[in-house]
Amino acid sequence: MKTILPVLAVLCMGTVALAAPAERYLHVKVDDPVGREHVRVNIPLSLAEKVIPAINQGQLRDGKVEIGEFHANGVDLKMLFDAVQSAPDGEFVTVQEPDTDVRVAKSNGKMIVHVIDKEGKEKVDVTIPWEVAQALASSGDKQLNVEAAIQALERAGDTTLVTVTDNSQTIRVWIDSRNTSD
Amino acid sequence: MLLLGKIGLGFLGTALVAGAVVSSEGFIHVKVHEKQTNGTHISLVVPAMIVPVTLKFVPNHYLAEGGRNVRRYLPVIDAAISGLADCPDGPLVDVTDPDEHVSVVKSGGSIVVDVDDPDETVHVSVPLHATQSAIDEIASAGGPI
Repeated sequence: MKTILPVLAVLCMGTVALAAPAERYLHVKVDDPVGREHVRVNIPLSLAEKVIPAINQGQLRDGKVEIGEFHANGVDLKMLFDAVQSAPDGEFVTVQEPDTDVRVAKSNGKMIVHVIDKEGKEKVDVTIPWEVAQALASSGDKQLNVEAAIQALERAGDTTLVTVTDNSQTIRVWIDSRNTSD
Repeated sequence: MLLLGKIGLGFLGTALVAGAVVSSEGFIHVKVHEKQTNGTHISLVVPAMIVPVTLKFVPNHYLAEGGRNVRRYLPVIDAAISGLADCPDGPLVDVTDPDEHVSVVKSGGSIVVDVDDPDETVHVSVPLHATQSAIDEIASAGGPI
Protein backbone atom coordinates (compact mmCIF):
# COMPACT_ATOMS: atom_id res chain seq x y z
CA MET A 1 0.00 0.00 0.00
CA LYS A 2 2.83 2.36 0.91
CA THR A 3 4.57 1.81 -2.41
CA ILE A 4 1.45 2.01 -4.55
CA LEU A 5 0.37 5.43 -3.26
CA PRO A 6 3.41 7.36 -4.60
CA VAL A 7 3.04 5.52 -7.92
CA LEU A 8 -0.63 6.54 -8.09
CA ALA A 9 0.28 10.12 -7.17
CA VAL A 10 2.89 10.25 -9.94
CA LEU A 11 0.38 8.77 -12.40
CA CYS A 12 -2.23 11.35 -11.43
CA MET A 13 0.22 14.22 -11.80
CA GLY A 14 1.39 12.84 -15.14
CA THR A 15 -2.21 12.62 -16.35
CA VAL A 16 -2.88 16.20 -15.32
CA ALA A 17 0.34 17.37 -16.98
CA LEU A 18 -0.41 15.50 -20.21
CA ALA A 19 -4.10 16.45 -20.34
CA ALA A 20 -4.98 18.70 -23.24
CA PRO A 21 -5.30 22.34 -22.21
CA ALA A 22 -8.89 23.52 -21.82
CA GLU A 23 -10.41 25.14 -24.87
CA ARG A 24 -10.46 28.92 -24.70
CA TYR A 25 -13.43 30.87 -25.98
CA LEU A 26 -13.93 34.36 -27.30
CA HIS A 27 -17.38 35.49 -26.21
CA VAL A 28 -19.44 38.32 -27.60
CA LYS A 29 -22.56 39.36 -25.74
CA VAL A 30 -24.89 42.07 -26.99
CA ASP A 31 -27.88 43.11 -24.91
CA ASP A 32 -30.42 45.61 -26.11
CA PRO A 33 -33.03 45.89 -23.36
CA VAL A 34 -34.98 48.48 -25.36
CA GLY A 35 -35.38 46.35 -28.45
CA ARG A 36 -35.35 43.18 -26.33
CA GLU A 37 -32.59 41.75 -28.47
CA HIS A 38 -29.89 39.51 -27.11
CA VAL A 39 -26.99 38.04 -29.03
CA ARG A 40 -24.49 35.53 -27.69
CA VAL A 41 -21.54 34.29 -29.73
CA ASN A 42 -19.02 31.80 -28.37
CA ILE A 43 -16.07 31.20 -30.66
CA PRO A 44 -13.53 28.54 -29.70
CA LEU A 45 -10.13 30.21 -30.15
CA SER A 46 -8.79 27.02 -31.77
CA LEU A 47 -11.45 27.48 -34.45
CA ALA A 48 -10.50 31.12 -35.00
CA GLU A 49 -6.84 30.12 -35.14
CA LYS A 50 -7.59 27.72 -37.99
CA VAL A 51 -10.04 29.88 -39.93
CA ILE A 52 -8.30 33.29 -39.81
CA PRO A 53 -5.17 32.22 -41.76
CA ALA A 54 -7.39 30.59 -44.40
CA ILE A 55 -9.16 33.87 -45.20
CA ASN A 56 -7.60 35.81 -48.04
CA GLN A 57 -10.14 38.48 -48.67
CA GLY A 58 -9.80 42.24 -48.75
CA GLN A 59 -7.25 43.50 -46.27
CA LEU A 60 -7.10 40.22 -44.34
CA ARG A 61 -4.46 37.94 -45.83
CA ASP A 62 -2.58 35.04 -44.25
CA GLY A 63 -3.83 35.94 -40.80
CA LYS A 64 -2.71 39.55 -41.09
CA VAL A 65 -4.68 42.73 -41.68
CA GLU A 66 -3.13 45.36 -43.91
CA ILE A 67 -3.32 48.82 -42.37
CA GLY A 68 -1.86 50.68 -45.32
CA GLU A 69 -3.45 53.98 -44.34
CA PHE A 70 -1.72 53.97 -40.99
CA HIS A 71 1.41 56.11 -41.08
CA ALA A 72 3.90 55.37 -38.35
CA ASN A 73 6.13 58.22 -39.63
CA GLY A 74 9.27 56.19 -39.18
CA VAL A 75 8.39 55.11 -35.65
CA ASP A 76 9.46 51.54 -34.98
CA LEU A 77 6.28 50.14 -33.43
CA LYS A 78 8.06 47.11 -32.02
CA MET A 79 10.59 49.32 -30.22
CA LEU A 80 7.77 51.54 -29.02
CA PHE A 81 5.93 48.53 -27.59
CA ASP A 82 9.13 47.26 -25.94
CA ALA A 83 9.70 50.67 -24.38
CA VAL A 84 6.15 50.91 -23.07
CA GLN A 85 6.29 47.34 -21.78
CA SER A 86 9.33 48.09 -19.66
CA ALA A 87 7.84 51.37 -18.42
CA PRO A 88 6.03 51.39 -15.08
CA ASP A 89 2.24 51.31 -14.92
CA GLY A 90 0.60 54.63 -15.51
CA GLU A 91 -1.43 56.84 -17.76
CA PHE A 92 0.25 57.63 -21.06
CA VAL A 93 -2.28 59.62 -22.98
CA THR A 94 -5.15 61.74 -21.76
CA VAL A 95 -7.24 63.75 -24.18
CA GLN A 96 -10.11 65.81 -22.87
CA GLU A 97 -12.34 67.57 -25.34
CA PRO A 98 -15.79 69.06 -24.88
CA ASP A 99 -17.45 66.02 -26.40
CA THR A 100 -14.89 63.24 -25.89
CA ASP A 101 -12.52 61.95 -23.24
CA VAL A 102 -9.79 59.49 -24.20
CA ARG A 103 -7.42 57.83 -21.78
CA VAL A 104 -4.68 55.32 -22.63
CA ALA A 105 -2.93 53.61 -19.74
CA LYS A 106 -0.87 50.61 -18.80
CA SER A 107 -1.96 48.65 -15.78
CA ASN A 108 -1.06 45.15 -14.52
CA GLY A 109 0.43 44.05 -17.82
CA LYS A 110 -2.51 45.29 -19.82
CA MET A 111 -3.04 48.16 -22.18
CA ILE A 112 -6.22 50.00 -21.31
CA VAL A 113 -8.10 52.44 -23.49
CA HIS A 114 -11.13 54.35 -22.18
CA VAL A 115 -13.20 56.46 -24.51
CA ILE A 116 -16.20 58.46 -23.38
CA ASP A 117 -18.33 60.06 -26.06
CA LYS A 118 -20.32 62.60 -24.11
CA GLU A 119 -22.63 63.54 -26.99
CA GLY A 120 -23.55 59.99 -27.97
CA LYS A 121 -23.42 59.01 -24.28
CA GLU A 122 -21.27 56.09 -25.28
CA LYS A 123 -18.56 54.56 -23.16
CA VAL A 124 -15.94 52.24 -24.60
CA ASP A 125 -13.39 50.32 -22.54
CA VAL A 126 -10.74 48.26 -24.30
CA THR A 127 -8.34 46.10 -22.30
CA ILE A 128 -5.65 44.28 -24.22
CA PRO A 129 -3.19 41.96 -22.48
CA TRP A 130 0.28 43.24 -23.28
CA GLU A 131 1.36 40.02 -25.01
CA VAL A 132 -1.65 40.29 -27.31
CA ALA A 133 -0.86 43.91 -28.21
CA GLN A 134 2.73 42.92 -28.96
CA ALA A 135 1.59 39.96 -31.05
CA LEU A 136 -0.74 42.25 -33.01
CA ALA A 137 2.14 44.56 -33.83
CA SER A 138 4.63 41.77 -34.51
CA SER A 139 4.44 42.02 -38.31
CA GLY A 140 5.73 45.53 -38.69
CA ASP A 141 3.97 48.85 -38.99
CA LYS A 142 1.81 48.04 -42.01
CA GLN A 143 0.10 44.91 -40.74
CA LEU A 144 -1.78 43.68 -37.69
CA ASN A 145 -0.95 40.05 -37.03
CA VAL A 146 -4.37 38.72 -36.04
CA GLU A 147 -3.26 35.09 -36.06
CA ALA A 148 -0.45 35.79 -33.59
CA ALA A 149 -2.83 37.82 -31.44
CA ILE A 150 -5.26 34.88 -31.25
CA GLN A 151 -2.41 32.59 -30.25
CA ALA A 152 -1.45 35.09 -27.55
CA LEU A 153 -5.08 35.29 -26.40
CA GLU A 154 -5.07 31.50 -25.92
CA ARG A 155 -2.22 31.90 -23.46
CA ALA A 156 -3.71 34.94 -21.73
CA GLY A 157 -5.82 34.59 -18.62
CA ASP A 158 -9.55 35.19 -18.43
CA THR A 159 -10.16 38.82 -19.22
CA THR A 160 -12.71 41.27 -20.56
CA LEU A 161 -11.41 42.75 -23.78
CA VAL A 162 -14.06 45.24 -24.79
CA THR A 163 -17.13 46.76 -23.21
CA VAL A 164 -19.30 49.27 -25.00
CA THR A 165 -22.21 50.91 -23.26
CA ASP A 166 -24.59 53.41 -24.75
CA ASN A 167 -28.17 54.51 -24.18
CA SER A 168 -29.73 51.45 -25.71
CA GLN A 169 -27.31 48.56 -25.60
CA THR A 170 -24.30 47.00 -23.97
CA ILE A 171 -21.65 44.96 -25.74
CA ARG A 172 -19.10 42.83 -23.97
CA VAL A 173 -16.26 40.85 -25.54
CA TRP A 174 -14.20 38.59 -23.30
CA ILE A 175 -12.21 35.37 -23.16
CA ASP A 176 -12.42 32.48 -20.76
CA SER A 177 -12.55 28.69 -20.71
CA ARG A 178 -16.34 28.35 -20.48
CA ASN A 179 -18.33 27.41 -23.56
CA THR A 180 -21.33 29.53 -22.62
CA SER A 181 -21.80 33.26 -22.20
CA ASP A 182 -24.01 33.26 -19.12
CA MET B 1 -32.94 -26.04 -44.75
CA LEU B 2 -29.33 -25.54 -43.73
CA LEU B 3 -28.61 -23.83 -47.05
CA LEU B 4 -31.59 -21.49 -46.57
CA GLY B 5 -30.30 -20.64 -43.10
CA LYS B 6 -26.86 -19.80 -44.51
CA ILE B 7 -28.38 -17.63 -47.24
CA GLY B 8 -30.54 -15.88 -44.63
CA LEU B 9 -27.49 -15.28 -42.43
CA GLY B 10 -25.64 -13.93 -45.47
CA PHE B 11 -28.44 -11.46 -46.22
CA LEU B 12 -28.70 -10.44 -42.58
CA GLY B 13 -24.93 -9.91 -42.34
CA THR B 14 -24.89 -7.90 -45.56
CA ALA B 15 -27.83 -5.80 -44.37
CA LEU B 16 -26.11 -5.16 -41.03
CA VAL B 17 -22.82 -4.16 -42.68
CA ALA B 18 -24.65 -1.97 -45.22
CA GLY B 19 -26.61 -0.34 -42.40
CA ALA B 20 -23.43 0.28 -40.43
CA VAL B 21 -21.67 1.79 -43.48
CA VAL B 22 -24.65 3.98 -44.42
CA SER B 23 -25.04 5.31 -40.88
CA SER B 24 -21.29 5.66 -40.27
CA GLU B 25 -21.34 9.38 -41.07
CA GLY B 26 -24.39 10.05 -38.93
CA PHE B 27 -27.79 11.35 -39.95
CA ILE B 28 -29.12 14.60 -41.32
CA HIS B 29 -32.23 15.59 -39.43
CA VAL B 30 -34.57 18.25 -40.77
CA LYS B 31 -37.73 19.08 -38.89
CA VAL B 32 -40.13 21.85 -39.90
CA HIS B 33 -43.26 22.62 -37.95
CA GLU B 34 -45.56 25.34 -39.30
CA LYS B 35 -47.53 26.82 -36.44
CA GLN B 36 -50.68 27.88 -38.28
CA THR B 37 -53.63 25.49 -38.36
CA ASN B 38 -53.24 22.91 -41.12
CA GLY B 39 -49.56 23.90 -41.28
CA THR B 40 -47.02 21.48 -42.64
CA HIS B 41 -45.07 19.22 -40.34
CA ILE B 42 -42.02 17.59 -41.84
CA SER B 43 -39.52 15.40 -40.07
CA LEU B 44 -36.83 13.94 -42.24
CA VAL B 45 -33.98 11.74 -41.08
CA VAL B 46 -31.54 10.82 -43.83
CA PRO B 47 -28.22 8.99 -43.54
CA ALA B 48 -25.64 11.72 -44.14
CA MET B 49 -23.58 9.44 -46.37
CA ILE B 50 -26.34 9.54 -48.98
CA VAL B 51 -25.67 13.21 -49.80
CA PRO B 52 -22.11 12.96 -51.18
CA VAL B 53 -22.94 9.61 -52.78
CA THR B 54 -26.02 11.12 -54.48
CA LEU B 55 -23.98 14.12 -55.63
CA LYS B 56 -21.67 11.72 -57.49
CA PHE B 57 -24.61 10.81 -59.74
CA VAL B 58 -25.68 14.41 -60.44
CA PRO B 59 -24.50 15.46 -63.92
CA ASN B 60 -21.55 17.84 -63.63
CA HIS B 61 -23.18 20.67 -65.57
CA TYR B 62 -25.80 21.07 -62.83
CA LEU B 63 -23.11 21.56 -60.19
CA ALA B 64 -20.40 23.27 -62.24
CA GLU B 65 -21.32 26.86 -61.41
CA GLY B 66 -21.95 26.08 -57.74
CA GLY B 67 -18.66 24.20 -57.72
CA ARG B 68 -16.76 27.18 -59.10
CA ASN B 69 -18.36 29.48 -56.51
CA VAL B 70 -17.62 27.09 -53.64
CA ARG B 71 -14.00 26.60 -54.69
CA ARG B 72 -13.17 30.24 -53.98
CA TYR B 73 -14.09 29.67 -50.35
CA LEU B 74 -12.88 26.09 -50.07
CA PRO B 75 -9.81 26.85 -47.89
CA VAL B 76 -12.00 28.76 -45.42
CA ILE B 77 -14.73 26.10 -45.46
CA ASP B 78 -12.16 23.31 -44.96
CA ALA B 79 -10.54 25.19 -42.08
CA ALA B 80 -13.90 25.98 -40.48
CA ILE B 81 -15.20 22.41 -40.70
CA SER B 82 -11.94 20.95 -39.45
CA GLY B 83 -11.81 23.51 -36.62
CA LEU B 84 -15.42 22.85 -35.67
CA ALA B 85 -14.85 19.10 -35.72
CA ASP B 86 -11.92 19.47 -33.32
CA CYS B 87 -13.52 21.89 -30.87
CA PRO B 88 -15.69 20.72 -27.96
CA ASP B 89 -19.47 20.63 -28.14
CA GLY B 90 -21.29 23.76 -27.09
CA PRO B 91 -23.45 26.71 -28.11
CA LEU B 92 -21.86 28.86 -30.82
CA VAL B 93 -24.50 31.47 -31.59
CA ASP B 94 -27.72 32.41 -29.84
CA VAL B 95 -29.87 35.29 -31.01
CA THR B 96 -33.10 36.25 -29.28
CA ASP B 97 -35.39 39.08 -30.26
CA PRO B 98 -39.06 39.66 -29.45
CA ASP B 99 -40.19 37.54 -32.41
CA GLU B 100 -37.48 35.04 -33.03
CA HIS B 101 -34.97 32.76 -31.42
CA VAL B 102 -32.08 31.33 -33.43
CA SER B 103 -29.42 29.05 -32.05
CA VAL B 104 -26.43 27.31 -33.59
CA VAL B 105 -24.87 24.56 -31.50
CA LYS B 106 -22.13 22.06 -32.08
CA SER B 107 -23.29 18.73 -30.75
CA GLY B 108 -21.65 15.35 -31.19
CA GLY B 109 -19.93 16.01 -34.50
CA SER B 110 -22.95 17.83 -35.95
CA ILE B 111 -23.98 21.42 -36.35
CA VAL B 112 -27.50 21.91 -35.07
CA VAL B 113 -29.50 24.98 -36.09
CA ASP B 114 -32.81 25.76 -34.41
CA VAL B 115 -35.08 28.60 -35.44
CA ASP B 116 -38.27 29.46 -33.61
CA ASP B 117 -40.35 32.30 -35.02
CA PRO B 118 -44.06 33.11 -34.93
CA ASP B 119 -44.71 31.12 -38.12
CA GLU B 120 -42.65 28.00 -37.69
CA THR B 121 -40.00 26.10 -35.85
CA VAL B 122 -37.14 24.64 -37.83
CA HIS B 123 -34.55 22.18 -36.61
CA VAL B 124 -31.63 21.16 -38.83
CA SER B 125 -28.84 18.87 -37.73
CA VAL B 126 -26.02 18.17 -40.18
CA PRO B 127 -22.95 16.02 -39.45
CA LEU B 128 -19.77 17.97 -40.15
CA HIS B 129 -18.03 15.08 -41.88
CA ALA B 130 -20.86 14.69 -44.36
CA THR B 131 -20.87 18.44 -44.98
CA GLN B 132 -17.18 18.30 -45.84
CA SER B 133 -17.71 15.35 -48.20
CA ALA B 134 -20.67 17.06 -49.91
CA ILE B 135 -18.82 20.35 -50.34
CA ASP B 136 -15.77 18.53 -51.74
CA GLU B 137 -18.06 16.75 -54.17
CA ILE B 138 -19.70 20.01 -55.32
CA ALA B 139 -16.31 21.74 -55.60
CA SER B 140 -14.89 18.93 -57.73
CA ALA B 141 -17.79 19.39 -60.18
CA GLY B 142 -16.26 22.72 -61.21
CA GLY B 143 -13.19 20.94 -62.60
CA PRO B 144 -10.13 19.37 -60.95
CA ILE B 145 -9.24 20.96 -57.59
